[in-house]
Amino acid sequence: MQWKDYSLRLRALLFRRRMDEELQEELQFHIDMQANKNQRNESDTVEATRQARLQFGSVVRATEECREERGISFLEIAGRDLRFALRMLRKSPGFAAVAILTLALGIGANTAIFSVIHSVLLSNLPVTDPQQLVFLTNPDEQGLEIGFGDGDRDFVTYPEFQQLEQNNQVFSGLLAASNFTSRIPVELADPAASSAPAHVSLISGSYFSVLGVTPILGRAFGPEVDKLRDANPIAVISYAFWQNRFGGGRDVIGRTIRILNTSYEVIGVTPPPFHGETVGANPDIWVPLTMQNEIFPGQDYLSQEPNPFRKTEWLQVIGRLKPGVTLAQAKASIEVEFHQMMEAQTSGMSAEKKKQFLNQHLPVTPGSHGASTLRADFGKPLLILMVIVGLILLIACANIANILLARSAARQKEISIRVALGASGSRVFRQVLTESILLAAIGGAVGLLLAQWADAALLRMVSTTSNQVCLDVHANAAVLAFTFGVSLLTGIVFGLTPAFRAARVDLKATTRGTAGTTARPGGVPTGKIIVVAQVSLSLLLLVLAGLFVRSFRNLSQTQLGYDRDHLLEFFVDPLSYGYRATEIPALDQSILLRIDAIPGVAGATLIDNPLVSGRDSSSPVTIEGRKPLPGDNADVRWDMVGANFFSTTGIPILQGRDIAEGDSGNGQRVGVINETMARKFFPHSNPIGQRVFVHTTAGQAPFIIVGIVHDSKQHSAKEMPFPRFYVPYFNPIGNDWTLGAAILVRTVGDPSSFSSAIRSAVKQAAPNLPTVATMETMDQRLSDSLVTDRMIAELSGAFGILAVVLVCIGLYGVMAYATSRRTNEIGVRIALGAQRSGILWLVLRESLLLVLMGAAIGVPLVFAAGKWISSLLFGLQPADPLALVSAIALMFVIGVLASYIPARRATRINPTVALRQE
Amino acid sequence: MAQESSRLDLLQGTLDLLILRALRSGAMHGWAVSERIQQISQDVLRVNQGSLYPALHRLEHRGWIKAEWGISELGRRARFYSLTASGRKQLEIEAVNWSKLTDAIARVLRMA
Repeated sequence: MQWKDYSLRLRALLFRRRMDEELQEELQFHIDMQANKNQRNESDTVEATRQARLQFGSVVRATEECREERGISFLEIAGRDLRFALRMLRKSPGFAAVAILTLALGIGANTAIFSVIHSVLLSNLPVTDPQQLVFLTNPDEQGLEIGFGDGDRDFVTYPEFQQLEQNNQVFSGLLAASNFTSRIPVELADPAASSAPAHVSLISGSYFSVLGVTPILGRAFGPEVDKLRDANPIAVISYAFWQNRFGGGRDVIGRTIRILNTSYEVIGVTPPPFHGETVGANPDIWVPLTMQNEIFPGQDYLSQEPNPFRKTEWLQVIGRLKPGVTLAQAKASIEVEFHQMMEAQTSGMSAEKKKQFLNQHLPVTPGSHGASTLRADFGKPLLILMVIVGLILLIACANIANILLARSAARQKEISIRVALGASGSRVFRQVLTESILLAAIGGAVGLLLAQWADAALLRMVSTTSNQVCLDVHANAAVLAFTFGVSLLTGIVFGLTPAFRAARVDLKATTRGTAGTTARPGGVPTGKIIVVAQVSLSLLLLVLAGLFVRSFRNLSQTQLGYDRDHLLEFFVDPLSYGYRATEIPALDQSILLRIDAIPGVAGATLIDNPLVSGRDSSSPVTIEGRKPLPGDNADVRWDMVGANFFSTTGIPILQGRDIAEGDSGNGQRVGVINETMARKFFPHSNPIGQRVFVHTTAGQAPFIIVGIVHDSKQHSAKEMPFPRFYVPYFNPIGNDWTLGAAILVRTVGDPSSFSSAIRSAVKQAAPNLPTVATMETMDQRLSDSLVTDRMIAELSGAFGILAVVLVCIGLYGVMAYATSRRTNEIGVRIALGAQRSGILWLVLRESLLLVLMGAAIGVPLVFAAGKWISSLLFGLQPADPLALVSAIALMFVIGVLASYIPARRATRINPTVALRQE
Repeated sequence: MAQESSRLDLLQGTLDLLILRALRSGAMHGWAVSERIQQISQDVLRVNQGSLYPALHRLEHRGWIKAEWGISELGRRARFYSLTASGRKQLEIEAVNWSKLTDAIARVLRMA
């Protein structure tokens, strides 16, 4: 029955003309039949027809009623309402402009944040049947891990991938991709194109066929490239790279590009929406994994490492489920298979080692969204921002609802005339609601445009020179649906109250002309309830803004423990540019000497894990003559550093001495520990002179402690103190210089003025190295690491201010309206001798009472929200009294400001004029 | 609004019942329905012709009757209505309800 009804309504909509004609024909038939019957008594045909028409009554009305029954009228009425609403808006352009602008900002902000959330957290990879994809590695991680990590693996090695690919029973195909390569910019050389860095990703031959991505130009490579190493210098390039570097020319196929010392033939171009398996990484060039040695010269990431505890884990693996295989089945199958693979490597291990080694698993998780480190870094801040912009929109809605309420009071006459003419309550309701939804729809359309611009700004905000965040935030179907839904909801939210108010219009009061001049006795006006809600939400936003801004200040002013303004850092990687591992110590020494010789340079040193980079090494240590600490407690982080590391970086030496030139070479190994390590491992004795064994994957070696230094925050402002051990770079355990090193230069005066001198010093010492691209102070690096925190602080601050402005407008509007309705009363008071100050207070008191009520509701909201955001705060609690008290104080100031003008106006009321108005 | 005293105003909802009852004997067009109701009620009930058609369309929407174009007795195209299966059921229900109601009212009137 329901369905039939809809189908008839649909038919009515589609074949409206025909149905109208049929209805006319039907009614005409009736009248003709009646006329026919009448003619039996009446000889006059004309008279008979006239009688028939009279008997029938109004044909127009019957037609209307039939249409109403058919459901067509609903749409017709909606169309009529819409036209009327447009006319009403055109009649008050000022109001329309303010409302549309407010809504556009509110909806635009929501759309902007949503499109980023959609692209980071919700959208599927633009590949064939993404829901069949499964990760066998950790999609939230990016990097390369050397050594052994127990528990769930982040990545797998190349030999492991090959075994998985051969033995798997549950996937129709498996692909592997290096996901850290995209961070390494590579110089390209092509006679036609200028040289610039590009992002290269190494992938297995199965990559494109497993994802189901077909090149729009040329072809993709297949499994044949996996057979032979170094034998397939071919490349597939991204659409964007093709457009930007080859101008989109179709002759790109067959052209060569040069990466380091090898030329690659371009064989294909991927479709525009495809950006690889990692969201936000955006590789430009894909080359076969078997070309690893050409992309990272001097490294071997492909061969089986003989020591199973020292593997290079660097590949992200994705499988496509065979039809009918569930995720759980795949998980079970991979668990068994991987366990067998690990078991095969345990021969000759002690029972304890074996147990430790076999605690390795592959996490098997759904892969439709692709990999991304953005989710972990950016997910929660985005959700918080989404809530913040949602609240802003609510506050904006409240303002518009209040303006509409005031207007509906002014429109009461118009509406009562319509009611008197026969409009039903529901008709008036629908009409007023249509106006609101029209406003919201226009606001939404403008907001959609604003959102595009806001998204570009947002991505610029979180991008740094070294890490560009590229996301596809174009308005797609999901974003459009979101904006449409939000606009509709917005229109209903702010339009409902005014519409109800209009539908319940009091005919007698309005036509008598008394409505609107005296305050209605009893009952709290809706406008005031709305303002109280607004105040409480604004208070919440203000406190959040205060917390995030203060937290960011704490972060950016935190003591790192080393010089942040005069310490420059840059990375050199000789192995990738043709130098042999044995040449590296001499090369590094020569670079350091030449930089040291630059006038104004206070010192130069180096470290294997760059400061503020996130790259770290960790190993267990034991102290000679003592029992090892159990489990992870024995772990320390360790860095290999050059001579004079502590005096150069400015990390204070508390006891003993710095690493010195003489510590290099093959003599007795020395080491320096930090305070935390001293406290943890030597609680009751002097560490200086003690022997420490570091158990690395390359072996174990004793170090004599020669110094204790202050704790420093090596990688981020949020870092907690951790035991740290510094050993000489040029006297390592094993020849571990293969991953390059960061050179640190301390300058006297402005560090930026040294960059060209340093560049030429590096060029002289190591002519084969490319020109140093980025040279940053610790302060710059730190601020790059705080982009997300800065984004939340800046955006929440901006939205906090916006909330204050909105609530100020809202409060002013309500107070002005309330005061104008009390004109008579105030007039009487003045006539009876009330003091001006008393009148002023009368109005201010009312406003402050609203703020007080809003604050009373807002404070518990703040505490509830505090729990949720506490993990993002640094150096302060969510219940930070300063943020709370200053926000409340600000709200009261706003309460006074917003009501001062209406209050002043009230004191100037002329009692005679006021009373005559009645 | 003026009211004709000679005509018995139909109670709300009774027109639907009358239409359903009239159509029980077979398909007929709108005019025939109105004629039949008047005829059977011996002209006591006069269907307001203007409100007959909205009622027919309403019943069609509810799925109780269906409409088809056919040729009338005078050879003209006309819209013929007939009862559907659910319409028949509805007629029974409404007829029972109606007699309950009238019985009850009659009893009340007798008591008074």
